[in-house]
Amino acid sequence: MSENSLPAIGIPRALLYYRYGALWEHFFRALGVSTVLSPPGSRGLLEAGAALAPDEGCLSLKMFIGHVDALIGRCERIFIPRYSNYGYTELFCTRYEALYDQARNIFRSSGQRFITCNIDVQNGSPEGAAYERLGVELGHGARESRRAWREASRALEQRQKAEERAQKERVKQPGMKVLVAGHSYILSDPYMGKPVLDQLEKAGAVSLRADALEPETARKACARFSPTCRWIVSEEIVGGVSLWKEKVDGIILVSAFPCGPDSMTNELLIRRIKGIPILTLVLDTQSGTAGVETRLESFLDIIRFQRGEGV
Amino acid sequence: MKQQRKAALPRYGEYNCVLKYLVEQGFETQCILPPPLTRRTEEIGARNSPDLVCTPFKTLLGSMIEALEAGADVLIMVLGACRLNYFGELQEQILRDMGYSFDFVNLSLYNTGKKRDILRMLKVINPRRSLVKAGKALYDAIQMVQHLDDITSLYYQNCGFDPTGTYPKIYRKFVSDLYDARNLTEIREAYRNASHAFADVNLRKPEDPIRIGIIGDYYTVMDPFSNLEIEQKLADMGVEVHRLMNLSNDMLRNTNNRNKQAVIRRFSEYSMGANSTSDIWQAQYYAERHFDGVIQVKSACCMPETDIMPVLANLSREYKMPILYLTYDSQTSDVGLMTRLEAFYDMVEMRKKVTH
Repeated sequence: MSENSLPAIGIPRALLYYRYGALWEHFFRALGVSTVLSPPGSRGLLEAGAALAPDEGCLSLKMFIGHVDALIGRCERIFIPRYSNYGYTELFCTRYEALYDQARNIFRSSGQRFITCNIDVQNGSPEGAAYERLGVELGHGARESRRAWREASRALEQRQKAEERAQKERVKQPGMKVLVAGHSYILSDPYMGKPVLDQLEKAGAVSLRADALEPETARKACARFSPTCRWIVSEEIVGGVSLWKEKVDGIILVSAFPCGPDSMTNELLIRRIKGIPILTLVLDTQSGTAGVETRLESFLDIIRFQRGEGV
Repeated sequence: MKQQRKAALPRYGEYNCVLKYLVEQGFETQCILPPPLTRRTEEIGARNSPDLVCTPFKTLLGSMIEALEAGADVLIMVLGACRLNYFGELQEQILRDMGYSFDFVNLSLYNTGKKRDILRMLKVINPRRSLVKAGKALYDAIQMVQHLDDITSLYYQNCGFDPTGTYPKIYRKFVSDLYDARNLTEIREAYRNASHAFADVNLRKPEDPIRIGIIGDYYTVMDPFSNLEIEQKLADMGVEVHRLMNLSNDMLRNTNNRNKQAVIRRFSEYSMGANSTSDIWQAQYYAERHFDGVIQVKSACCMPETDIMPVLANLSREYKMPILYLTYDSQTSDVGLMTRLEAFYDMVEMRKKVTH
């Protein structure tokens, strides 16, 4: 097979894909760049990633490396953007900053090419300019790339608004409501977080997502709740919890082992939120689902008991 | 009469002498030192901290508790580039939940990149005192950090080759002089005394000693208690120990991270968070100068240090320089560390014999 028949760009379906994926796909489509997505998260991908990534990395990093591994040799370049910050107080977890260089080093001997997009406002590289450079690097005009980015970010915004609207409908549903707080790449991943959500549905609970809010609203709420929290993604989760908490019967904090930001924000949430049952679930590489199921069941029993429904 | 407030900062290697000087001379507030770090500090810290946070959080929390027990009523917490920025807020919450009452100055709260907030921060630490005085104390403190770091580097590079055993005495005297210093003259005098005393010792150093470079996360690598005195242990084996990672080098002297990034571009194109650029740069620095090995000293769950491991692995392969990766958690014992260091030393020594 000649190299020309390979798709130009491979996108790992992990980590920030679940946040910015709509933007990326729209951007590449608008420029007419062919893309390939890694398969949905699975035990196999996680195991492959765990064998390659540093042992002490978090579960989601291992999953990510597994996704990159699945794309090696299947596309011309693998797209790993570097999201560092949107400004002095709007940061990302250092892991996303390191992803591009880390993956390049892990797969150094494979000869695979990578491409990035550096979003680092502190060092003079805002999002628009970064995507413009990415477009130019792929052989498109600066103006054309800028337009593609603008369209793509509008698409992303609309998706976020739709999520918030959908959630507002779900809140109105009768029955036991449980707020699930966690990074989107955990909760939306079919292997890691989705079993938790599925089990909640099966048990007849309405599950709500903490981060299904417009980012601005959530971040303002977080600034009131925890002023020095500066990780954008965690801010949205913490802010979301502080806003939705009045409307739910229980909160589940889902986190990956050993997630850096979560290790601190979850502790703060537990300490500052009183009067609502909270369950912390830390997912790791060994998870058979039985342990999680037992804990979820007993947590739901507690909520039913509190609601006076009996067990 | 209103009692004078007693401020404290948690322990951080020997840098507390600098912090104490800054608080006492610059802000004319009494500064008390928390007791030296012990296993107990780590235990009470770990017991009250979240499980998966990095070890420095736990140690610092333990030291804060001990500072409160020692009579402090104002706690000051610094800020940083990684999770450190968030330490203060969570630690305050934990201490309040434990029932302590105190004033808390969380410098991270004012770290917004706006000049207005920096002025507000100065006012909070120092409501009445003059900025001139604070500025002067800051200047002195900067000199003090550099003197401390210079003498410390000199000490670990040479103390393994001192047959008389006077090196540790000189170093201890120097550090205690710094804790007692009240002005720049005294700081300079302590520095002069120590460097003269070092120069007077006849070292028995081979022409080409085994040289090992140390890199690692900001807290663990600079705090001898947290890294189980790894530098002393290596020096005692007869190693010339180099540690570029100190406050002077990283915050005062070579702060141009963009240029460091250019040097290590082959391995890492962008900053990988916190002090990772300096770390990789230093590892390459050691490698290019044909050091016999590098040791990465990091706390468990440290994010940036974990992320640079694949980079270090490639660097090690390319320069054919062994790297030992050490992870410290609150249960790390001396014995385990000793075994690994000895094995590393033996390997490095054997390599040296073969390659030379």
